Amino acid sequence: MTPTKRIQAISAALAALALGTAASAEDVLKIGAPLALTGGLADEGHKQELVWKMWTDKVNAAGGIDVGGTKMKVEIVEYDYQTDGQRAGQLAEKLINDDEVDVLMAPFGSGHTKIVAAVAERYQIPLVACVASSTSVYDQGFKFLFGTLAPNTGMTEAMVAEFKAKMPDLGTVAIYGRDDVFPKSMATATSDSAKAAGLEVVYDELYPVGAIDHSAALSTIKSLEPDWIYMTGYTQDLILGRKQMQDLGIEAPIITMVTGPAYKEFTDGLGELADGVTSSTWWHHATGYTDVAGAWPSTDAFYQDFLEASGGEDPDYVHGSCAAALDVVADAASRAGTIEPVAMRDALAATDMETFYGPIKFGGNGMNQGREMPIIQVQGGEIKILYPENIANAGMTFLK
Amino acid sequence: MAKKSPWPLIAMALWLAALALTPVLLGNYEVRIAISIAMFTALALSWNIIGGFTGYPSFSTAAFYGIGCYVGALAQRSGVPAALAWLAAAAFVGGVSFVLGAIVLRLKGHYFAIGSIALVDISRLVVSSWGEVTGGGNGLNVPLLQGRPPEVSALVLYVMLGIVAAAFLANVITDRSRLGFGLRCIEQNEDAADMVGIDTTRYKIAAYVLSAVFPGAVGAVYASWVGYIDPTDSFDIVMTVQVPVMAMLGGAGTLLGPVVGAVAFTLLEEVFWANFLEWNRAIMGAIVVALIFFLPGGILKLDWRAILYRRPRRNAAERKAG
Amino acid sequence: MGLAQILANGVVLGTLYACIAIGFSLVWGVLNVINMLHGSFIVLGGYLTYFAWAYTGVSPVLILPFVAAILFGLGYGLQYLFINKVVSAPVLTTLTLTFGLDMILYNLMTVWFTATPRRVSMDFGRLDFWGIAMPVDRLIGMGLALLLTALLFVVLRTSRIGRAIVAVRMDREAAALMGIKVNHIYAVTFGIAALMAGAAGSVFAMVFPVTTNLSGVFLGKAFVICVIGGLGGVSGALVGGLALGIIESFAGVLIGPQNAITVGFVLMLVLLIVRPQGLVGVKGYE
Repeated sequence: MTPTKRIQAISAALAALALGTAASAEDVLKIGAPLALTGGLADEGHKQELVWKMWTDKVNAAGGIDVGGTKMKVEIVEYDYQTDGQRAGQLAEKLINDDEVDVLMAPFGSGHTKIVAAVAERYQIPLVACVASSTSVYDQGFKFLFGTLAPNTGMTEAMVAEFKAKMPDLGTVAIYGRDDVFPKSMATATSDSAKAAGLEVVYDELYPVGAIDHSAALSTIKSLEPDWIYMTGYTQDLILGRKQMQDLGIEAPIITMVTGPAYKEFTDGLGELADGVTSSTWWHHATGYTDVAGAWPSTDAFYQDFLEASGGEDPDYVHGSCAAALDVVADAASRAGTIEPVAMRDALAATDMETFYGPIKFGGNGMNQGREMPIIQVQGGEIKILYPENIANAGMTFLK
Repeated sequence: MAKKSPWPLIAMALWLAALALTPVLLGNYEVRIAISIAMFTALALSWNIIGGFTGYPSFSTAAFYGIGCYVGALAQRSGVPAALAWLAAAAFVGGVSFVLGAIVLRLKGHYFAIGSIALVDISRLVVSSWGEVTGGGNGLNVPLLQGRPPEVSALVLYVMLGIVAAAFLANVITDRSRLGFGLRCIEQNEDAADMVGIDTTRYKIAAYVLSAVFPGAVGAVYASWVGYIDPTDSFDIVMTVQVPVMAMLGGAGTLLGPVVGAVAFTLLEEVFWANFLEWNRAIMGAIVVALIFFLPGGILKLDWRAILYRRPRRNAAERKAG
Repeated sequence: MGLAQILANGVVLGTLYACIAIGFSLVWGVLNVINMLHGSFIVLGGYLTYFAWAYTGVSPVLILPFVAAILFGLGYGLQYLFINKVVSAPVLTTLTLTFGLDMILYNLMTVWFTATPRRVSMDFGRLDFWGIAMPVDRLIGMGLALLLTALLFVVLRTSRIGRAIVAVRMDREAAALMGIKVNHIYAVTFGIAALMAGAAGSVFAMVFPVTTNLSGVFLGKAFVICVIGGLGGVSGALVGGLALGIIESFAGVLIGPQNAITVGFVLMLVLLIVRPQGLVGVKGYE
């Protein structure tokens, strides 16, 4: 090829590319996602990435979503924010300005969701959060923020009631939580729920983010001999906490770790020691919703697809909630008949649908309304559901 | 003292004007980068007074910045208007640094370095465990600045540029006053400075306070801008090392060095981070290592003439030989 | 709960802490370098131990020497190639250099190992004596930590290389005049420090789950321990480690776990001011 011809060829290709993108830009729903693909929350970020890819592949293979009579493909634009809050805000702004996304998905965790929510609110771009459950995220009066997890308080009240029913002489509880947005709010909520139900909270302390050892707190708890030990934290905290309880000879009829058993890494890391640990979660793949809207017609359909995509690993609530969050976005776009942000926001606010993940209907603050959230227990290395009754597949066992 | 050149002042004024034009000429994302540049320029210039002029290896920038974040946020939450909250944060951090300075500036060298890093950790831990006031690990929501995104970004940028200008003027005044002379003496030989009658303690504390007030203000403005702060992000150990690196990259102890360094570092980070997702931290590390070996005096101390004229000179030499 | 239990918790934890700090103290004392890589060395040792255990099933106690050897090589190489070039520069330069190297190592580890917490799940049970419950794995860890510390002490005291290291620490120029290759000794010292860090990582992996974000925590502990105990030898790290372990243990019970870590840092700051040579340090090394 002579130089002139090469230039001509390149410019032709460029022109085609430019035209191509210009043409497709109009029938693509662009969803922006700042993700923690490296850093402390990398595992969580990869979970979100995985199910979002599953969802877009499935929906696009079926021709896309129907928006005002045209079929639109869905594209996820993602960037790694390295588990760095400031970076997450910066990326949200980049996604809105440079990539011109129509909707944003929030990253993992309540803290980083707050940062992204401030940006989205300022630009009036709808933001759907699939892994932020602290009410403090939603009580700022933001109009463009929606969350698919239900409030923590529903979870703790149901748990206290269920345990009291199963163990009538349950009297004392020790609460030990990590001083971080989600684990702290769960610890506080449990403390309140327990007191309201007439339990005596004999120990109620937080540990700081940099703690590497729990001997001091656990030795104190041992001497108090509570009926129920409730610990919150990240997976590595809980693995260590459970092991140290064993090592120090702490026994209690009920040991709850949030959200330990909801994650596969917890049971993998602890092996037999995980047995008997209870927890609550927002979703479990054994919940059998059928004939539902969205990309998957039933929970089992999602589960089977997921097993294939993950190479046989079970999904957890992060996978479920995040995949369902995209169902919500697609549903809102269809009902709005446009992807214009304000119309999308109004449609999101009016969401009332059943998905494989369960019902989704946002309250006034944008949070998914209370629903029955499963209480789970590790039994024989497997996750069994104790509550609610309709999907329970095992009876509760006590550790002492 | 010899009359100093006006060129650094003129260059700085032009550069500030150029940054101030970004909201008019460029998009929102570029404005965001300009805000980052302004933030880090202000931090690096502040560090320059204690780290550059005085030669004390201070790593407490993140402590001042973080305390500024929290004071600004708490003031705004209790109804103080944003601008007043920012000033209050700067003043409060100034007071805190006065007290802390009186304590840690008795240390020298490695012990001072460790002590100043410890201040970051202690501040973070205190803020974390003082939950009733600071929200602890929950963080704090800060009232958002009202307005459309371009207006808010432009406002934040102008305020940050104002802080940069103030920090730069503080550097210029320090540089050209008796204070700067004294600090340079301390940098050369503290015992000798003490002997010739320089009140080293007062000078050092003055430098430490000057290096603290601007980060305090930057933190408070940042908090109003993002609308949410928490202890981990506010007291960040990476930031506390990054800021001296920026100043050294440009040239510590000079007026324009921290400015050049902050711009270069922020833009490099932007480029690498956009292009090498998984490896950007390693690449930034490699830059830091390269800086130590190849640019020990910073970009401004490079002998540009030698680099630019190397070839002509060699040609001349060859001609002579031929 | 009995005082004995709190004290026992503190002593065991303190011995492990001492093991964290020894390498850091050695580098600071001999090379006059604040080594920001130290935390990542420990985490690297922990991960190597975990993966060697997971793939071969061999006891971590037997894996430890190999991990230590690898870390020695890494430390020696880093010092010889990089840090030696600027070793006499001001603290700002050397600290920044090791911070830059740490960014690289940290990045490599997050890519290789991911952030998933790993645990060597060998449960040895516990011993109950005098009303104290003590996990066996911690006792093993404590034994190993003491053994390593004693070994290092003996090596520094009796071997040729150990005496050379001590000589360089006392007076670099005089040592050079005596025919000691200072750069080599620096590299060996840094290698030994990395070795101790790697071994500490192995010990930790038997007791605690390993994750990359622990590196900053370990580094912070090393700071505190060195300042509390003082520089200039094995004894300083041991005293500092024990002191921190016992203080954290009592603070955790008396004023709550939330403030236990703060107490350590505040104590460190106070000691920096009133006794910068540390509890047992020799004056003159600051």
